[in-house]
Amino acid sequence: MMFRIARSRNGGSITHYDLYKVDTKKGMTVLDALFQIQDAMDSSLSFRYSCRGAVCGSCSMLINKEPRLACRTQVADVKDTDMKLKPFAAISESPSGWKQDAEILIEPLPNMPILKDLIVDMTRFYDALESMKLWADSDDDDSPRTQSPDERKKIERYVNCILCALCYGSCPVNAEKEEYVGPAALAKAWRFHEDSRSSNPVRHAKAANQPEGAPLCDLIMNCVKVCPKGVAPGGAIRKLKKN
Amino acid sequence: MTISSFEHDILIVGAGLSGLRVAIELSEKFDVAILTKVHPLRSHSVAAQGGINASLGEDDSWESHAFDTVKGSDYLADQDVVEILAKEAPRAVIENERWGTAFSRTDDGKIAQRPFGGAAFPRTCYASDRTGHNLLHTTFEQTLKRGIKFYNEWFVTSLVKDGESICGLTALDIATGAVHGFAAKAVVLATGGFGRVYGHSTNALINTGDGCALALRAGAPLKDMEFIQFHPTCLFGSSILMTEGARGEGGHLINAEGKRFMDKYAPEKMELAPRDIVARAIRTEVLEGRGFEDEYVHLDLTHLGKEKIMERLPGIREICIHFAGVDPIDEPIPIQPAQHYSMGGIHTDKYGVTPVSGLFAVGENACMSVHGANRLGGNSLLETLVFGRVVGQTVAEYTASAKAPDSGYVGQSAFEMREYLQTLLFHEGGDSPASIRETMGQTMDVLVGVYRKSDALEAALKLIRELKDRFKNVSVGRSDDKFNYALIRTLELENMLELAEVITMGALMRRESRGAHWRLDYPDRDDDNFLKHSLFTKVDDFIKTEFIDVNLGMFEVKERTY
Repeated sequence: MMFRIARSRNGGSITHYDLYKVDTKKGMTVLDALFQIQDAMDSSLSFRYSCRGAVCGSCSMLINKEPRLACRTQVADVKDTDMKLKPFAAISESPSGWKQDAEILIEPLPNMPILKDLIVDMTRFYDALESMKLWADSDDDDSPRTQSPDERKKIERYVNCILCALCYGSCPVNAEKEEYVGPAALAKAWRFHEDSRSSNPVRHAKAANQPEGAPLCDLIMNCVKVCPKGVAPGGAIRKLKKN
Repeated sequence: MTISSFEHDILIVGAGLSGLRVAIELSEKFDVAILTKVHPLRSHSVAAQGGINASLGEDDSWESHAFDTVKGSDYLADQDVVEILAKEAPRAVIENERWGTAFSRTDDGKIAQRPFGGAAFPRTCYASDRTGHNLLHTTFEQTLKRGIKFYNEWFVTSLVKDGESICGLTALDIATGAVHGFAAKAVVLATGGFGRVYGHSTNALINTGDGCALALRAGAPLKDMEFIQFHPTCLFGSSILMTEGARGEGGHLINAEGKRFMDKYAPEKMELAPRDIVARAIRTEVLEGRGFEDEYVHLDLTHLGKEKIMERLPGIREICIHFAGVDPIDEPIPIQPAQHYSMGGIHTDKYGVTPVSGLFAVGENACMSVHGANRLGGNSLLETLVFGRVVGQTVAEYTASAKAPDSGYVGQSAFEMREYLQTLLFHEGGDSPASIRETMGQTMDVLVGVYRKSDALEAALKLIRELKDRFKNVSVGRSDDKFNYALIRTLELENMLELAEVITMGALMRRESRGAHWRLDYPDRDDDNFLKHSLFTKVDDFIKTEFIDVNLGMFEVKERTY
């Protein structure tokens, strides 16, 4: 299988694409293929990785124009999928020369500055966690609290977020508006708002409804389609907008 | 060009649960910084599935938890350390609950607990089968709240001493490729395990034992390195973990004859015997011809029903579907044992103090020893949170009276490290890191695995020493300074080769079978000679080995049956 991979030695923008011939075998993931390239063909190829089991959220990238975790994407399945995303430039414009039926195209996750090859600068994505104070307000009490299974169920899908930023990279609003905090941060704010144990749920809803937050979302729902964990940030944002 | 040095009171290496918990303990009173080679949320703690033990139940007690831990350890755990673990467990769990972790709940709203291997009570608190994910994200949120300083994507290249004491470290900024010195009064190593020494491991690809290798080179001893936990149930092919919780919820192990086989190995506990026993049972079934394709057995959850699987084991189901094309609701899961946990590590006392002044260690890269020869499931997440706090308190005491570091030492060391890396990068014509890494992994899998014997271990040691020689001329390959992961992975390989040698030496010199260390040529436990910790210290280019006593105490050493 041929891999066409976006390259950027000095960051900023994609300068060219390199082609590699990867020996594939059953069960091989895109991440496995990238390691084969780095190990045996081109030691200069840079990409992030860690768990290889779809729980750490490191290896988010654009695979055949769809934002995906490289470790969870089987090479054999890449061609057959279609997330039916609402298009924007980074996912709708194909590089010249890409032979779609014969090559897997790998590019950095959109909507964040490229640092090198497939590595993007996630500072803005992470900064929202701090600027919106996305944590529980703790107190000095050290007694255990109760929460019913149903109350927990209300937040479960949101606590499953691994902060991989695929939603951020898939969002047409993030593509245009740098200031938009993005779907993951808003889903996390809703998680704290909805937590029956929260001492100050209003704080999180307020943080989410700041001008750079939920009001910028156009409910396009690409975030729901790309989420590898079923978090469905768009659903949380819809509720935030009504809140 | 001058390259700046950095200075903090305390440096923590690693941002998994242990490192974060230490930082939280210290952040109020000290200038503390965490260096981590990946963003904190990408640390391997995130992958822990099944749960965290605490004797919260009315009928349960810390003594019972301690007893199960000591028995599980095959009596090699230091009992004074186990006492702290078991006593502090409820506090650690409740603290994280109050920080926001969404633990699974009983109908009356209490933290739910499930049965786990080797435990007398259902003592394992869990957040679905994503307990590590929940604890790590929650604990990370609390470090953000406290404004803790992170150096994300920095790879620590050496520890620096001013004579006898640690006075800082050198680290490579992965984004730029520049090496900087960091001066500090104290350094805490919290880099996790070294599973990637093995070819087949459940561990994240980043688990390369960097902290253990740094400590060894700085003159701190490693302890009990031969005790490697092989998790019985890992997805065939990718070795991704299938939590013990799957058996805790009632999953069965089935051989190719369609039979549950654990009755032969642990008639009482069956599938919920401790991991070492279940891993050996599976290997034996396969070796004796009762495996599928001579490779694996089945973990069968189909009788649990869709609802229970969806509620208690959704993450397992997702992994099976995406990585093996199997839906455990309909079909059994193909599994085999793989390396999972490192019981050994940097030799410390129960407060995380190493013999090198100013150097501390905590979590999987430390060996206090709380797990002895075999760790019980649910005790590793617990270790990080309990001892993160304990070690933080110890470091606070040390730092309060420590002298300010002389940044001259780290500056000089950074200069030397830049020269070393330059030389390394200029090598041409040597072996590729990948070829050395692959041979190392295969050697450890085959010759230093679940079952060990003298001639295989001798062969392994010879091979590993050859690999260490070949590494001296390793060719990293051409790359750029920025994000040079080929270089990072080569430095990780250098660390792992050091550890592979020590693990194998330990396995050779321990001529008995205890816990996870099983010698076919010495199949009995030998308390007269080996109820002792092994210790490994680097002296010049050699490894000095010795045995030291185990801290026994409230529990009498007995035969271990389940």
